[in-house]
Amino acid sequence: MAEQAEAGGGKAGSAQAGLAQAGLASRFLTAVQELYRRPASAIGSTIFVVFVLMALVGPFIAPYGSNEQIVADARQPPSLDHWFGTDNLGRDIFSRVVLGARDVLALAGVGTLAAVVLGTMVGLVSGYYGGWLDEIVMRFFDSLLSLPALLLALLLLGSLGPSRNSVLVVITVVYTPIVARVVRSVVLSVKTKEFVEAAQVQGERVWYILFREIFPSTLPALAVEGSLRFSYAIFLVASLGFLGVGVQPPSPDWGLMVKEGRANFTQTPWALYFPAGAIAVVVIGVNLVADTLKQILQVPSQLKR
Amino acid sequence: MATRGNGRWIIAAAVVVLAGLVLVSCGPGTMTPGQEATEVPAEDGGTAAPGEMPAADRQGTLRVSAFPIAQTDPAQISSDAEVLIANHIYDYLVDVDADNEVVPRLATEWTRGEEGLTYEFTLAEGVVFHDGTPFTADDVVYTFRRLRDTEGLPTADLYSNITSIEAAGELAVTFTLSDTNPFFLYDLSDNHALIVKDGSEDGGAGGAGSAGANDFNGTGPFVVQDYEPGNRMVLEANEDYFVEGQPHLAGLEIIFFNDQSASADALRGGQIDLTMDLSTPLYESLRQRDGLIAQDIATNQFANVRLRVDQPPGDDPMVVEALKLATNREEIFQLVQQGYGAVGRDSPIGPLFSEYYTEETGIPQRDPERAAELLAEAGYPDGLDLELVLLDTLNFPDLAAVLKQQWSEAGIHVEVNTVPESVFYGEGQWLDVPLGIVGWGHRPYPQFYLDVMLACDAKWNATRFCDEELDELIATAGTTLDEQERIDAYHEIQRILIERGPIMVPYFFAEYGVISDRFEGFQIKAFSGRTDFRQIRLAE
Repeated sequence: MAEQAEAGGGKAGSAQAGLAQAGLASRFLTAVQELYRRPASAIGSTIFVVFVLMALVGPFIAPYGSNEQIVADARQPPSLDHWFGTDNLGRDIFSRVVLGARDVLALAGVGTLAAVVLGTMVGLVSGYYGGWLDEIVMRFFDSLLSLPALLLALLLLGSLGPSRNSVLVVITVVYTPIVARVVRSVVLSVKTKEFVEAAQVQGERVWYILFREIFPSTLPALAVEGSLRFSYAIFLVASLGFLGVGVQPPSPDWGLMVKEGRANFTQTPWALYFPAGAIAVVVIGVNLVADTLKQILQVPSQLKR
Repeated sequence: MATRGNGRWIIAAAVVVLAGLVLVSCGPGTMTPGQEATEVPAEDGGTAAPGEMPAADRQGTLRVSAFPIAQTDPAQISSDAEVLIANHIYDYLVDVDADNEVVPRLATEWTRGEEGLTYEFTLAEGVVFHDGTPFTADDVVYTFRRLRDTEGLPTADLYSNITSIEAAGELAVTFTLSDTNPFFLYDLSDNHALIVKDGSEDGGAGGAGSAGANDFNGTGPFVVQDYEPGNRMVLEANEDYFVEGQPHLAGLEIIFFNDQSASADALRGGQIDLTMDLSTPLYESLRQRDGLIAQDIATNQFANVRLRVDQPPGDDPMVVEALKLATNREEIFQLVQQGYGAVGRDSPIGPLFSEYYTEETGIPQRDPERAAELLAEAGYPDGLDLELVLLDTLNFPDLAAVLKQQWSEAGIHVEVNTVPESVFYGEGQWLDVPLGIVGWGHRPYPQFYLDVMLACDAKWNATRFCDEELDELIATAGTTLDEQERIDAYHEIQRILIERGPIMVPYFFAEYGVISDRFEGFQIKAFSGRTDFRQIRLAE
């Protein structure tokens, strides 16, 4: 009898979750339509799509290799041959910006994704159980958050050494506490709702309650937070490259290119303008999308980290 | 939770990033290399006539940019700016000119004993310190004993070969050495060897960084009138200066700048008259400008690409040869140095060392196919993967980028790893990593590099290269008093290093200076801190 009740309860729960998912899917579909209904987010989305395409097909559209040096063309201003000009080593800046998109977007994207996944799991567990576990985790995250992101990143890189993998670890460590706090705040407001209590009464396992009942409620907030974290991560990757502790030369990392362009600014100012412009444009694009997502997903603004 | 305000903030931040970065780009450029100096061989002799120029003939104040200084005691100075300032307040016993020849300064002439172990110097007459006390042999004795005997001073090691320093009269000094040192005169003109008054505790400079005007008690061509640390130093011509007709200027003003771009802008705007703190791009931007005279000089500061030969893959000479064949030095020179300085020939003996330098042995032409074949013969048919470790300063990252490209055509794939100075030198990476790029400062004679870097028992033999024939030649060059024998030894050393040496020297750096055309007589030296302002005058 008890087994039957449990089985019945399970079906009910699945149906509820399914409804929640269907609702969510339609909300996301609406969101995509909404994105292109508003001029600001339409621009943002287009910018983002263009940069993602650039990252995907960069090697096919870049006329030169990222470290290909044309001695005779060194330090040339923008022209038909070199749209963005060449740097002090005769490298085509357009090719480097295009090929660098993959590095920046992949590092920022994968790092953010890792932070979102990790932060979500920690936030769910911490918020759901509460008590001493929640206290310990949150105070630990508070201590991490008390350090400015760049300083924390520099400290981590100091011990890890500069490399792509280190940058990924840094983004994950820096942004996991923020994501976890956002998820936790949603969990705290949701875990006392009837459908969660119903699942608990039905004896559902914890992972089921966490991921099938509570998790869908965090998705709108996660979508917005994830996109914001993504744009911050682009900044962070570029900043680390600029400080010379991130991706190593001669990678076409935009931050690194800005650093190199700065040293040669009096001779080749275009070597600074274009990568710096690329960083600015992609960050603006992502933020326009994030801002609109927040509005149309109706993420409650009273949710605090 | 990210609020709407947050989103807007980051958008605003993104909008200003361009402007911000552009503004930042107007800030500091790359730092000019920090070098150490000392100087090359020359013959004995020379005089300097004491005298005085009528005050009315001294005209104009030269305003010079310099990085802020930390040390004012001549025994402790090291940066270009510190040496530049001290060099005009104090005098050297002997100096080195722009052609790298030893010339008289406070010593008017000198003789070397037959065994090459004693040197007698005759000192200039009528020299007085800025406080009015006469200069005597005791001041020279005190200065060099202090430099040799004070623990922790950078000169203690340099002068450890001097067994005695004695006054041989009021204006005569005798130095006795334990071993012959053909470069002894160059050692005496080391950056720190500025003559200070007998008994002055801190070299007469007052406390480091806080010296008052009366503390700078030298015999030099300019007298300190006012010093505001971090801001400026005002100097007036020494009316009692012992060299007739010098200095030509009535005054000198050192204005401290924390970055090169700012001093370049100040020169453009007419706020200063001379800057020698320039990166290549900044120099290029000033070079063609009306009203300015630009000068560049090849130094012996160089980038050294070195491979350890005591472990794979460097322990196979074919790998070393392959790396050399895969490298195009001329292309590196044009791209990285923009043609300033000099192309290197895989040896630390650069063209600045005139007779010691030779091009008798040709550098093999670049041949990536042959390099790939050699690698295959050495057991690397699929190419070679290497990590290249280097400093993240100067143009070393550019050099690494070009090497990566050139070597990739020979199947040598390089992972570049740039590290800060504190790690590179502080943790000994520059000596330990298998493949690295190390910068070597300018020295006035080549023996130093050979002794500390390439001899079998050299203290900084980072490659662990040991070649018997090379070792004998280094010993000969460093001890013989026969100049021709030394020249021959240096030529042989260059041949060996090109043929089988473990280092590649793709280029020698340049030093730059740009001065307003209101002045003439400026001649930059390979170590810019030793540039002599005594000859500079207002243009007619």
